[in-house]
Amino acid sequence: MTESNYASKQMTLQEAIKKYVQSGCSITFGGFIGRDCVAAAHEIIRQGIRDLTVIDDSKTDVMDLLVGAGCVKRWEGAYLGYGAIGLAPNIRRSVEKGVPLKIELEDWSNAGISMRFLAGSLNVPFMATRSMLGTDIIKYNERVKVINDPYEGEPVALVPAARPDVAIIHVQRADVMGNAQVWGFTGNDENKARAARHTIITCEEIVSTDEIRRQGNLTLIPFYCVDAVVQVPFGCHPQSCYGYYAYDVLFCGDYHEAAKDRDKFLKWLDHYVLSSEDHLAYCAKVGWDRLQKLMGMERRFNRIPG
Amino acid sequence: MNYSAQEFMVSACSRLIKDNECVFIGVGIPLLAGVVASKIHAPNSVLIYEAGGIGAISRRLPWSISDNATTDNALVATELWRVLGDVQRGFVDVAVIGGAQIDKFGNLNTTAIIGPDKSYQKPQTRLPGSGGANDLASSAKRLLIIMRLENRKFVEKLDYITSPGFLAGPGCREKAGLKGGGPEAVITNKCIFRFDPLTKEMYLDELFPGVTIEEVRSDVGWDLKISSDIKIVEPPTEKEIEIMHKIDPLGVVLGRKSIQENQSFEDYYQIMKKCYESMALLI
Repeated sequence: MTESNYASKQMTLQEAIKKYVQSGCSITFGGFIGRDCVAAAHEIIRQGIRDLTVIDDSKTDVMDLLVGAGCVKRWEGAYLGYGAIGLAPNIRRSVEKGVPLKIELEDWSNAGISMRFLAGSLNVPFMATRSMLGTDIIKYNERVKVINDPYEGEPVALVPAARPDVAIIHVQRADVMGNAQVWGFTGNDENKARAARHTIITCEEIVSTDEIRRQGNLTLIPFYCVDAVVQVPFGCHPQSCYGYYAYDVLFCGDYHEAAKDRDKFLKWLDHYVLSSEDHLAYCAKVGWDRLQKLMGMERRFNRIPG
Repeated sequence: MNYSAQEFMVSACSRLIKDNECVFIGVGIPLLAGVVASKIHAPNSVLIYEAGGIGAISRRLPWSISDNATTDNALVATELWRVLGDVQRGFVDVAVIGGAQIDKFGNLNTTAIIGPDKSYQKPQTRLPGSGGANDLASSAKRLLIIMRLENRKFVEKLDYITSPGFLAGPGCREKAGLKGGGPEAVITNKCIFRFDPLTKEMYLDELFPGVTIEEVRSDVGWDLKISSDIKIVEPPTEKEIEIMHKIDPLGVVLGRKSIQENQSFEDYYQIMKKCYESMALLI
């Protein structure tokens, strides 16, 4: 609780992660293979946080990095791959070989896990869905309960509310109070922020509260579910951020190639994450010129309103 | 007309999409199929992407179901749970998905190849999981499946059922409480399979030119039934191929090149720039 609704919650990424992300906590990340919290994942790795339970819908870079760095104990979610490029190398190494650590798995469908966030956001114990019925998702996941609907009598699946300790959501812009505005697809972000005990907003730009008021429709997450606001330009790279920069598919291709081999992955991790003091140091290694070009590709056509 | 097996799959799948349908689409081959359909015989179809983009007019190939291009000029930019909810509600006519393994009732596995002496928690090969595939297979009115016909992909018994086809046969979907129509066709690089309305079993319905029944049979892990009226699929037209190449100039989806083969970042930047310039409002 801050003293005033209008108080600033702005802090650095290091401060926000240190304050809200502890070893052993449960966590969810905003975005959906696009607008991903990559910079925040890097900082979690740098701070040596361990034993995370990640509750999420679909993740690529963020989960492959966290699992490869040994930060994750358990996954509850729907998709762990590497998008159009292929399977996620660190996920496979962990699950199949236990390197560096074996993660526990609990599979859900995207709609199933989404309903868990919706239930969490509404403070109700569960939600009903017609997904996952009849399949092995239910066979291996005992927390999906199939009941006969008490009104009509037909089978329906119940999923428990997700209440992660912390949600980290990257948005295009926010004010220092924590009102977070999003353009483009919105994934499960408004529900994740509401379901979590604490929410960290990372954003491309910080704008004035007056600027937020000009287009209140775009505020996906209101200040009262936000604990920290952090400006992290290019915080999704190599993933995309609608209206700001395009997906760096070549960088992802190179990462995927490196990550197939454990030693090469560790070198990659050391170069881009561990030996980078902060996100700006990472950006410098990627190259500001390259980031500007990704921005140019995107901004040429997708312009944010206002 | 020269064409690859990938291009054939895109063309064959696109023809199964009807005009005025709301089409829920995965990236890769399904996406190309959706775009080709919308450019040729289904100009009023509307594409829906899982992350929340509805009716985008993209200026380049979306690299994922949530790439920025999936909300370029979109009618609606909304939420993941909302668009999947719209499928459950019955607003989506057809969904196009892929799979790693399939059985004779059209059930799909994208979770794990478990393997002998292995377990769900520690399988031989861990695959990505359901993503939204289970949700689409559960609730879409029509379901089209695209996957390559290769050894050990079409199996008698799946290691793990991620997305429901007809489960164990007739009446099973209804009994489980599933509302969607179930799989309608499986489009491969060699043929098209459909499902018997009575037995719900997958059978060979159409062959690509030059492919034999024996060839298909040898890649299928059960005693495959063959249509008594087997047809030959019309090959892709020049126009279809032209559209595919325009959307995927790097040939990544069409399998001409892997992403790593794409030269330098500068080359990529120039190609993307050209995409945006030449492809305005194409998709």
